[in-house]
Amino acid sequence: MSPEQILFYFFAALTLISAFLVVTMQNLVRSIFLFFVTIFSLAAMFVFALADFIAVTQVVIYVGGVLVLMLFAFMLSNRELLSGLQAVQTGFKMSHFAGLMISLGFLFLLYMAIASTDIVNLPWIKESQQISPGDNTVHQIGINTMTRYLLPFEVVSVFLLMALIGAAHLARKEKRS
Amino acid sequence: MGVLSFSAGTLGAFSLIALAFPFISLFTILWRSKDSLGHIAIFNAFISFIASFIVFCCVWNKEVIHLQTGWFTIGENVFTAGILLNNLSVLMMVLVSGISLLVHVYSLMYMKGDPGINKYWAYLGLFCFSMLGLVVSDSLLLIYIFWELVGFSSYLLIGFWFTRDAASQAAKKAFIINRIGDIGLLTGLMIMYAQFRTFDVVKLFGPMGLVDSASIIDGIWISPVSQMPVVWLSVAGFAFFIGAMAKSAQFPLHTWLPDAMEGPTSVSSLIHAATMVAAGVFLLGRVYPLFDSLVFNVIIIIGVLTAFLGATIALTQNDIKRILAYSTISQLGFMIAAMGIGAYGESIFHLATHAFFKCLLFLSAGAVIHQLHHYKEHHQLEFDHQDIRLMGGLGKKMPVTFISMCVAAAALAGLPLTGGYLSKDAVLITSFEWASGYHGFKKLVPYVLVLTSWLTAFYIARLIFKVFFGKLRYEGITEASSSMSRVLIVLAICSLFILVSFNPLSYEGSWILAGFTGSGVKPFEVFHSIVPIVVTIGSILMVLIGFRIYAKRDGRTFREKGFFYRFSNRAWYLNEAYNLMFVKPVERIAHYSYRFDKLIVDGVVNLAGAGMGVLSRVADWLDRYIVDGAVNGAAVLARHTGNFARQFQSGRLQHYLITMLTLVVGFFILTYFI
Amino acid sequence: MIPLSHFMFISAVLFCLGLYAVLTKRNAIQVLIGIEFMINAAILNFVAFGRFDKATGGGQMFALFTIVLAAAGVAVALAIILNVYKHFRTINPAKIDSLKD
Repeated sequence: MSPEQILFYFFAALTLISAFLVVTMQNLVRSIFLFFVTIFSLAAMFVFALADFIAVTQVVIYVGGVLVLMLFAFMLSNRELLSGLQAVQTGFKMSHFAGLMISLGFLFLLYMAIASTDIVNLPWIKESQQISPGDNTVHQIGINTMTRYLLPFEVVSVFLLMALIGAAHLARKEKRS
Repeated sequence: MGVLSFSAGTLGAFSLIALAFPFISLFTILWRSKDSLGHIAIFNAFISFIASFIVFCCVWNKEVIHLQTGWFTIGENVFTAGILLNNLSVLMMVLVSGISLLVHVYSLMYMKGDPGINKYWAYLGLFCFSMLGLVVSDSLLLIYIFWELVGFSSYLLIGFWFTRDAASQAAKKAFIINRIGDIGLLTGLMIMYAQFRTFDVVKLFGPMGLVDSASIIDGIWISPVSQMPVVWLSVAGFAFFIGAMAKSAQFPLHTWLPDAMEGPTSVSSLIHAATMVAAGVFLLGRVYPLFDSLVFNVIIIIGVLTAFLGATIALTQNDIKRILAYSTISQLGFMIAAMGIGAYGESIFHLATHAFFKCLLFLSAGAVIHQLHHYKEHHQLEFDHQDIRLMGGLGKKMPVTFISMCVAAAALAGLPLTGGYLSKDAVLITSFEWASGYHGFKKLVPYVLVLTSWLTAFYIARLIFKVFFGKLRYEGITEASSSMSRVLIVLAICSLFILVSFNPLSYEGSWILAGFTGSGVKPFEVFHSIVPIVVTIGSILMVLIGFRIYAKRDGRTFREKGFFYRFSNRAWYLNEAYNLMFVKPVERIAHYSYRFDKLIVDGVVNLAGAGMGVLSRVADWLDRYIVDGAVNGAAVLARHTGNFARQFQSGRLQHYLITMLTLVVGFFILTYFI
Repeated sequence: MIPLSHFMFISAVLFCLGLYAVLTKRNAIQVLIGIEFMINAAILNFVAFGRFDKATGGGQMFALFTIVLAAAGVAVALAIILNVYKHFRTINPAKIDSLKD
């Protein structure tokens, strides 16, 4: 087993374990911080998929953006919200069981789909030009963004602006009229 | 009269106008009580009179106008409705509308301030409308409808002051007795229709009409369309006569008329003079050709008896209006008797003159009552303002009323220079002429009538002397208001001979009599001079006796305890007799019926009820446990299904998601395995 | 060289964990985190397949766009959660059941 594989499965295990803990943990603040770990290890896995730029973006946006946003949202909002968040009741419930069964069923379906498909031998995978570890993906992404994917890029930028305005509008304090 | 000439259609329209305008008055009931409504009603009455007068001028002694249109059809039988304008109907029209106009004008003052004045004008309008409709209708069916309307509106008017018990009782009495007459008329109607298949008055009773052309062969009454035993001819005649008896207050159905005095005096005047009581005589005139000798005999007997009875009762009455009421009954007896002896024209003649002087009598009495009533209220006294024993000396204070009442009284008594003299002589002379052709009881008829006429002179003289002569009891009483007095003056002029004939002493010159076919009785010249002289002298004698007794008050009076006095004063005890003969047995029958109902009918009903109870209990058990069980089971099932389904509609997004994904995942897992 | 199917298995497990969070958590923020897991599982697939698409780079490009969308979604979702809290005084999705009949 090569060191590459050892590292990959380590990060894969880290991702899944941390995600599992995030999902099962009752304490919200802890689960949010564990969410960091999941995101980081995912970013590591992106690297193993030869997508170093994506990995960096993932870290920058999720850790620098989403998580900070979440934490700020909790910390800056009033104490009632936080206390209300803490006081979520625990215990196993029928709905947990139902959700578990559905999730497992879904996992089963996905597993069967993946297992039954011989992905490596698919024609377009076989014939495709693979990215090699020495390629400059940032260069490629930059060219693609400005040529082939210019329209989606602009659309996403407008979308981002809309989300920004929308979030700001929703979160503002309502004026007492 | 010849100046005016209109086409038949126009005249028909005029007669309809005469009908329609009083009907418009009916709508015044919609307004709140206001005095100005009277002017509307008077205007309507005036238009009606003008239209009637035009029709009268154009039709009297000219061609008969008969307009009709299809009314409705039952099977093959077409019923028509229309108007018939001949001498009889146009005379009645002008009489009815004229009298009603005068009564309207009079009522304006007489009824002033009454809280229900809007109802008064409306009822009065309805009354005139019904009477005019009765007069101009050409179909027996229409006549029956208007006949009922007359009865109904008289009920409303007699009971106008319905808060008084006596008034509502009197109205009920009038209505019920009139119903008896209505049954008679209806019976006659049905016989006529069964025999002749038509209600058309012209076809039935006109010259060469169906009644004339029907023949009697071997006791069978044969008409062109049907036949029946001859007894039905008499029955039909009786039936119509019973109708006339009730409306025209003939013995023994006369008792409603004196009680009808409970209505306002102006209404009494209208009922007595022109409208209601004349309807009976009018009906006899319409169906005149139908009567056979048997019916004529009955008519004569009833008429003469009524005339005599009315006069004798009037002798001792003390209520001023009751005296006049009985005098009306008596005079109606004259008319009916005249009809019976075949003096058709004379009867109508007397009806016309009687309309004026009787109206005048009532309106004058009304003026007296009105003034006394006001005097009583003004001085806050308590006495019966209709009792002639409590009056006296009013002649000096109320000269117009006094003089006009004297004229009317003279006309009633049959003194010369009045219309009443002419018409009464016409009736009496014709009766003498008729009686000379017969033997037996028919010889008596004219003598009874003469006796009645003398009695009439006496009681009316008694009334006049008691009211207007003697010592004045009420200082400061005044003449009636000018609008009432004017009506009295107009009526007084109409009561004189000048209206009906240019010759004050002989009725033969009268234009009214010339409008009708003669009685067909062989004339005896001798009666034409003797009868008037005898009757007049007798009447004057009676008046003088009355003057001695009542005006001079020299102490000579009748004993008030005597049998005859009480017999007369209690109106021959007829009310008591009716009470004993009809009311008591009916009450007893009702009592027995009640007991029968209570014991037997109720018993059966209760038994059936108990049976039903048991049955229903069984049904209840079945229903509760079997039917309800099934129904409830279905309901419970539905409820549980519903509750189960409700759980999916929890409102929680996660539940929805779980449900949704369960389906999706379940579906794909199933497809995978299958 | 890691086989493609391993990436896919990992992403499938991550997706199901996110789904479980969405379906069961009694807290809107944890539900949001579950959604993020699911999006990240998708991104992981994009990236894994993107290795075989050097010419157009579609996998990596759309992975980028998806990250952006996820970030924008989080921002808006958090604003909505705050408003929901203001309105209902709770962010427990089990208690917000105004859709009930």
